[in-house]
Amino acid sequence: MGVLRLAHADIQVTDLDLATAYYTEVIGMLEVERDDTSVYLKCWDEIDHHSLRLEYAPRVGIDQFSFKVEHEDDLAELEKAVNTYGFPVERVSKGERVGQGESIRFSTPSGHTMELVADVEKVGRALPLVNPPVYVDGLLGIAPPRMDHILLNAEEIGESAKFYQDVLGFRLTEQLVDSDGHQMAVWMERSHRPHDLALVRGPNGGLHHFAYWLDDWDHVRRSADILAYNGVAVDVGPTRHGITRGNTIYFFDPLGTRNEVFTGGYRPDPDFPTITWTEDNIGRAVFYYEGEINQRFMRVHT
Amino acid sequence: MGIMRLSHVEIRVPDLELATAYYTEVLGLYETAREPERVFLKCWDEQQHHSVVLSFAPTYGLEHFGFKVTEREDLDLYQAILEAQGISVKRYVDGEWGPGHGEAIRFATPSGHQMELVYGMQQIGNLLPLTNPPPKPLGLVGIAPPRIDHLFLTVEDVKVNTEFFQNVLGFHLTEQVMGDDGFQIATWLEVSHASHDIAFITGQDGGFHHVAFWVDDWNDLRNAADVCAYHGVHIETNPTRHGATRGYCLYFFDPAGNRNEVYTGGYYIDPDAEPITWTESEMGRAIFAYDGVVNQKFLTVHT
Repeated sequence: MGVLRLAHADIQVTDLDLATAYYTEVIGMLEVERDDTSVYLKCWDEIDHHSLRLEYAPRVGIDQFSFKVEHEDDLAELEKAVNTYGFPVERVSKGERVGQGESIRFSTPSGHTMELVADVEKVGRALPLVNPPVYVDGLLGIAPPRMDHILLNAEEIGESAKFYQDVLGFRLTEQLVDSDGHQMAVWMERSHRPHDLALVRGPNGGLHHFAYWLDDWDHVRRSADILAYNGVAVDVGPTRHGITRGNTIYFFDPLGTRNEVFTGGYRPDPDFPTITWTEDNIGRAVFYYEGEINQRFMRVHT
Repeated sequence: MGIMRLSHVEIRVPDLELATAYYTEVLGLYETAREPERVFLKCWDEQQHHSVVLSFAPTYGLEHFGFKVTEREDLDLYQAILEAQGISVKRYVDGEWGPGHGEAIRFATPSGHQMELVYGMQQIGNLLPLTNPPPKPLGLVGIAPPRIDHLFLTVEDVKVNTEFFQNVLGFHLTEQVMGDDGFQIATWLEVSHASHDIAFITGQDGGFHHVAFWVDDWNDLRNAADVCAYHGVHIETNPTRHGATRGYCLYFFDPAGNRNEVYTGGYYIDPDAEPITWTESEMGRAIFAYDGVVNQKFLTVHT
């Protein structure tokens, strides 16, 4: 019941062909549909229509992000909650947008456009439902099985975190607090993972990165090989996070949007106690092996 | 709201000392409480008081298993649902059944397995601090899985038990092996977005096929095999892969003869996903994807 997981990120790209080539051949997503201005992509193990939409625009950035809810009834309940909080909600009917089910759309306190969607069009995995093999042969690039999480920028973390927790039912797994006790960054979950959504201080409306799930640390190493082979700009990694305990690489798509591949982490129950990181441990909190964060990672966003 | 995940198993062992030594030193669980005839254990990353209880008995097998619910009201809700089906429910108040155990309802599934739903088990924390924690504790002993994962039971009528878990308890069917006669031979069900939290295979009612513990990845499975071999533990199936669930696995036996598994991989699933079906002719590959042959010992040995 309620919000299930990250459904899709809709990002803006200044070169649709270049971005599509990168996301299909280096990342290894599958193209599901295309129109004049947009390309819809999914990871091989995803059943729903798409998890990434590339849209041509004169600048890069995030257009909106979308979370899947379990039942259509959840939309009415969450619509009421967002309205009560004081934000207007727009309804988008099933089929009004490509591959999309019934959805509601609203602005978050940090000025991001968020969507909640039920009953997304299903296109199936790249595997049959009867006697399936354990993987798909001939996939290109990194070929992550699915999208994992998204990290957004917000000027006021405390206010935004409260919105996701109190209005949308997200649970706080970890937080980074400054010496004044204010939240600098928060990690929140709905799917019994260390995070589905995270927020870090930065300009409202900004996208820090979105992340793909990988099978294991071995898959992280193979991804590093593929990134290097294709001349992709690596930001950080392979390394490990203190926060979430996940294994990771950060890198940039050809237009400057940061991507991550992620695996590991733990499996929290909803009554899991929140883990706190203090500002004096920020290096280890973010990159456990290095113990420090580079300025590019702190400042660059789209 | 509702059932969240597998909470614990109570396993019968005829030699409590030997079993405790195995579960703490080979498997690498932590002892959290002890009584003359019971030992309570947890995995290192679990917050809850126990996930395995060893109970002295003149035999082996599964005494009962418990799933965790998210709210206290879920216990009332499921008690009402079960009693409306004519199933008798025994209620335990907080801590009544054992140390740190929480409030619970106990009932029999159609296959005669004793099942419990539990709320509010004491949280004693994992082995890490809640402020600036390292990613893992040092000095873990044995296989040291971070948590319990799933349970596999033998039942005479897979269809009846699967429908009970789907319709009465709200589980979601992820995979099934269908016999040529149109009956389910085995089923996998989830309630936590994992590939499975419980599975059933045709066999004796009340039978215990195995309990599985999660490990991080394929490398950890190899380490687990090294640990088992070092200690002379009887390995039944080397590190390999399942067709059903796509997970990686290693099977071995505790000193009482109960089957254990360490498991990793598999997929994340939404509750609206259609089940995957395996036909009887492909059953070998459904169970062990690399061997692809039906392993009679694996299918028939249980406790």
